[in-house]
Amino acid sequence: MSRFRYRNQLMMLLAPYLLGALALVGIPALLSIALAFMRYDGISAPAWVGTFNFRLIAANPTDFRFPVALYNTLYFVALATPLRVLGALALALWLNRERRGVGLYRAAVYLPTVIPDVAYALIWMWIFNPLYGPVNLIASVLGLPAPGWLADAKTAKLVFVFMSAFQIGEGFVVLLAGLKNIPSEYYAAAAVDGGNTWQQFRYITLPLLVPWLLLLALRDVIFSAQNIFTSNLIMTNGDPYYSTLFLPLVAYEEAFDRMHFGPGSAITILLSLATTVLIWFILSIIGRREITDAE
Amino acid sequence: MQSRKNSTRESGVGGERRRSSILFHLVSILASSLFILPLVWMISASLRQPGLPPPRAIEWIPDPVTWSNYARIFQLLPLGRYILNSSLIAGAAVCITLVTASWAGFAMSQLSPRGQNRFINLSIILLLIPVTAVWLARFILFRWLGFYNTYLALLAPSIMGSSPLFVLLFYWAFRRIPAELYEAARVEGASALTIWRQVALPLSSATLVAVGILAFLLYWSDFITPLLYLKSQSLYTLPVGLRQLQELDRTNWPLLMAGAVVMTFPAILLFGVVQRFFLQEGRLAGIYGK
Repeated sequence: MSRFRYRNQLMMLLAPYLLGALALVGIPALLSIALAFMRYDGISAPAWVGTFNFRLIAANPTDFRFPVALYNTLYFVALATPLRVLGALALALWLNRERRGVGLYRAAVYLPTVIPDVAYALIWMWIFNPLYGPVNLIASVLGLPAPGWLADAKTAKLVFVFMSAFQIGEGFVVLLAGLKNIPSEYYAAAAVDGGNTWQQFRYITLPLLVPWLLLLALRDVIFSAQNIFTSNLIMTNGDPYYSTLFLPLVAYEEAFDRMHFGPGSAITILLSLATTVLIWFILSIIGRREITDAE
Repeated sequence: MQSRKNSTRESGVGGERRRSSILFHLVSILASSLFILPLVWMISASLRQPGLPPPRAIEWIPDPVTWSNYARIFQLLPLGRYILNSSLIAGAAVCITLVTASWAGFAMSQLSPRGQNRFINLSIILLLIPVTAVWLARFILFRWLGFYNTYLALLAPSIMGSSPLFVLLFYWAFRRIPAELYEAARVEGASALTIWRQVALPLSSATLVAVGILAFLLYWSDFITPLLYLKSQSLYTLPVGLRQLQELDRTNWPLLMAGAVVMTFPAILLFGVVQRFFLQEGRLAGIYGK
């Protein structure tokens, strides 16, 4: 059979993936950029309004509280991402050895990552319940102060940070594989030179793991900023006093509660823009080569 | 192979080695318990009798143990119906996903190295775009297509293999198969579809199972899509049902935790099947390359 015909057949097999990606991601992405410059309520015809939506956001009406939501989102990402990446790194380093039972430990670390979002949000609401929750019960037994957690504007964001630190299975698995990829000769050479464990980590493991850690951090920035939506909606809906109002929830309320798709898209675009700048920034540091050659 | 890092450290005398082993297990058990704790507390709370005053100290096993919470949530809401809906959607989505994702992965594995790289890059870019970045426009598009309040909106992502990650998993699995096998089939005049079905798929059953389970979990857990698209209660899926349960009574924690257990249990069961695949072999890591 001719090479040409085989290639055509392969393109047919690729078609659902490519057309699906175009219809579900490509076109919606372009459409949401266009919507950000339009007025559209889902019923009457969309109208071009230029930069009106962005000026509206900048004027800071009480409907959005954009600066507060932006601050909350950045606060969350700035605390959650390092915690998650370093937590995954520590656990991967510790559990990267062939011992009996190590598979069980790894599975345990991954377990919270499997819990469906809605159930996960409810579980943490219970754990941090001021009166009944296990955390405050332990605190009272130990004689520690028992804060109101989600009911208190000062601590509410921390609950979100804390619960996100337990869903680190993906980063953990990725770093485990990264550690396996480091050739054993490097460690053998270090042993000959008399390097101790810390030196091995500092001069061999860490430098070789840096691209992985950066990519993990990058993905984490994107996803923790956006994936917070479900727990945000279930747990606090932005309360108390907008202290847990995160950007995806603002976009959701504006678009799906009030049917203001224009400003809703503008908010989404602003959030995506911030993360795109980060992607570009991190990619330019580590170089594209690192991620194209898989396996 | 993985022990190399410690081989030098452990070459000491037997006693020291045993001590380091005990330390390892001690710390590991401590860390593991921390991660299992949320699940333990969920189950324990689901067995509490509703309406009891707060316990004075932490109680691991509630007194009395109340199983009726589980029966109660099925009386309050048609959860059985929701579970059926969720299972049907996830089941259908898994079937479509396995075909489309493995097609794409297979085609990618057959391209020239340059072509392969191009599609890997594309998949990674797609992987970095979260649903919430395109949900508004997708909503308008789907409504215009008449997908609103139908399962088509929920199933649509399966057309593109549900997640670029699944496509990549198949791609890596198919690439591990020796090229001579593909060549031999092509010499005999087999089409791409035939080679996919008779050569590639039978040699990749582990990936097939793993992607199937991961895809099931994805649709089983999905909250945002049914929240946006489903209006009729008879169409609701379990995550939306759990949200309904919360809106019925926000403070009845035993009932809410029973609901959370019902939702989580199948996910953990399936994870038990698939955990070997990605915890021991680290195949997920392929995304991040070397």
